[in-house]
Amino acid sequence: MFEYLLFLSSGLFLGWSLGANDSANIFGTAVGTKMLKFTTAAIIASVFIVLGAVISGQNTTETLNALGGVNTLPAGFAVSLAAALAVRVMLKSGISVSISQTIVGAIIGWNVYNHQETDSQTLINILSCWVMCPVVSGLIAVSLYLLVKKILHCSKLHILWQDFIVRQGMILTTALGGFALGANNMADVVGVFVGSCAFSDASFGGVINLSGIQVLFLIGAIAVSVGVFTYSKKVISTVGKGVLTFSPVVAWIVILSQSLVLILFSSEGLESFLISIGLPPLPAVPVSSTQAVIGAIVGIGLAKGGKEIRWSLVGKLVCGWVTSPLMAFILSYILLSFMENVFRQPVIAIM
Amino acid sequence: MFNVKISLFARTRDLEHTIDRLHDKIIEMTVEFREAVDIYLKEKRSDNYRKTSKKIKTIEHDSDVLRRDIESRLYEQNLIPDLRGNILQLVENLDRVVNLFDEVAHKFYIEQPDVPEVYHEQLKTLVKQVSDCAENMAIASRAFFRDLPTLRDYSQKVYLLEKQSDKTSAKLRKAIFDSDLELARKNQLNVFVHEVADIADLAEDCIDALLIFAIKREI
Repeated sequence: MFEYLLFLSSGLFLGWSLGANDSANIFGTAVGTKMLKFTTAAIIASVFIVLGAVISGQNTTETLNALGGVNTLPAGFAVSLAAALAVRVMLKSGISVSISQTIVGAIIGWNVYNHQETDSQTLINILSCWVMCPVVSGLIAVSLYLLVKKILHCSKLHILWQDFIVRQGMILTTALGGFALGANNMADVVGVFVGSCAFSDASFGGVINLSGIQVLFLIGAIAVSVGVFTYSKKVISTVGKGVLTFSPVVAWIVILSQSLVLILFSSEGLESFLISIGLPPLPAVPVSSTQAVIGAIVGIGLAKGGKEIRWSLVGKLVCGWVTSPLMAFILSYILLSFMENVFRQPVIAIM
Repeated sequence: MFNVKISLFARTRDLEHTIDRLHDKIIEMTVEFREAVDIYLKEKRSDNYRKTSKKIKTIEHDSDVLRRDIESRLYEQNLIPDLRGNILQLVENLDRVVNLFDEVAHKFYIEQPDVPEVYHEQLKTLVKQVSDCAENMAIASRAFFRDLPTLRDYSQKVYLLEKQSDKTSAKLRKAIFDSDLELARKNQLNVFVHEVADIADLAEDCIDALLIFAIKREI
């Protein structure tokens, strides 16, 4: 078990990074605009990240495992560490970074290093979801923006009541965003350790029964929550300056759109439903919450006439699609090589 | 948690009423001011004028209390954080208009200017324009809080009335200086006309700021 936890540490570090960086997308604007206190937002987000991870986290894991079945602990460690390091490097360079995209690059690095074939259909699915994610987020944001604007125009709601409703809405959206992040992105954190999971089933008071994999997701979610509490405040204060140019209503629409998109790309039920009514499905794929936020911002910018759009954001988004997985791919290849040749650890299980 | 929500609900409703009451006070002030000038021109510093002047003083005091209440509650309850600074400035601007009404009415009471009858109609016209201007400013300010699209309509009215009051005051002052009155009386009347017209100018400044705040309020 000690060995398992030691190798899991890179996944937990990645989880910490996810909590530190992506939680700013969930409640950064709520805290930045002083609509919610940081502690309140962090507690709500953490509770729902755990719930999302344990209840729905496994849906997106299947997609990642279909891309590449990392099946030894040392390989999982190297792949996770590569993704985590790529995130740090990309954040330093100011390019939009997605943990989902770095982990995909790192998994492909494992495939190439071990001469395993990458499932092209799964890869195409994932790549199309990266493009669809900001587009769908933008469409949702525009619809919500026009709807809310119409409601505000017709209702003649007093500014104080608007403030009251947005405040309550932000609490709900923080919970929804936390759940969505846990459900969609937990596969990035611990997905590569599922194949070698050493946890046994657990029961909490006979009421809550978790499978070994759910325990793994619970631990991953706790690492994310630690990231939320220990570092996200700093990230919010750094990125908050750019975000604060929105009114709280728009900020709320952006977070809500982002949360809905993450849920759309995590739900197998929705995928089956869309297929059943003859529509193209939205597969359960880990997508980037940051890029969903950018999609929503650009969508609202276009709805307002397009003058306020910061096109540099779109440039960073497209740049992130290419550079994040590429950097993680290279790092993964190098770390796997170190793991195998220097530390003499197996990076692929012989079936 | 439920109690907290109820209390937040009640506090929001209370503050909404307080803001509404401040606007009511401004409208009340415009009516009382017009009446006060009418009484003064007819009866000078009579008991009737004293009573109206006292009413004006009470309205000014009440609006001060309401302003302080709004300001402290906005900060204590951490409400509307993004627009709080703008709303505080708006409330201060509204209060300045109320104060100027009170100052001018009080000045009539203290200095008792002797306004020749020939200028009465023009002065009444000016007072009407200025009062209407301030009234529309109050309605525009109320619209800022609950009906943004109509804010522009009332703002336009304020601008038109301010322009009209400028013309009226210029005419009146020219007539005063063209007359055979003593220079001291000319100067005294000129200052009074100027101060009455200043109320409309202040209302216009308030609307200028309000329109900027409205851009920020649009989602």
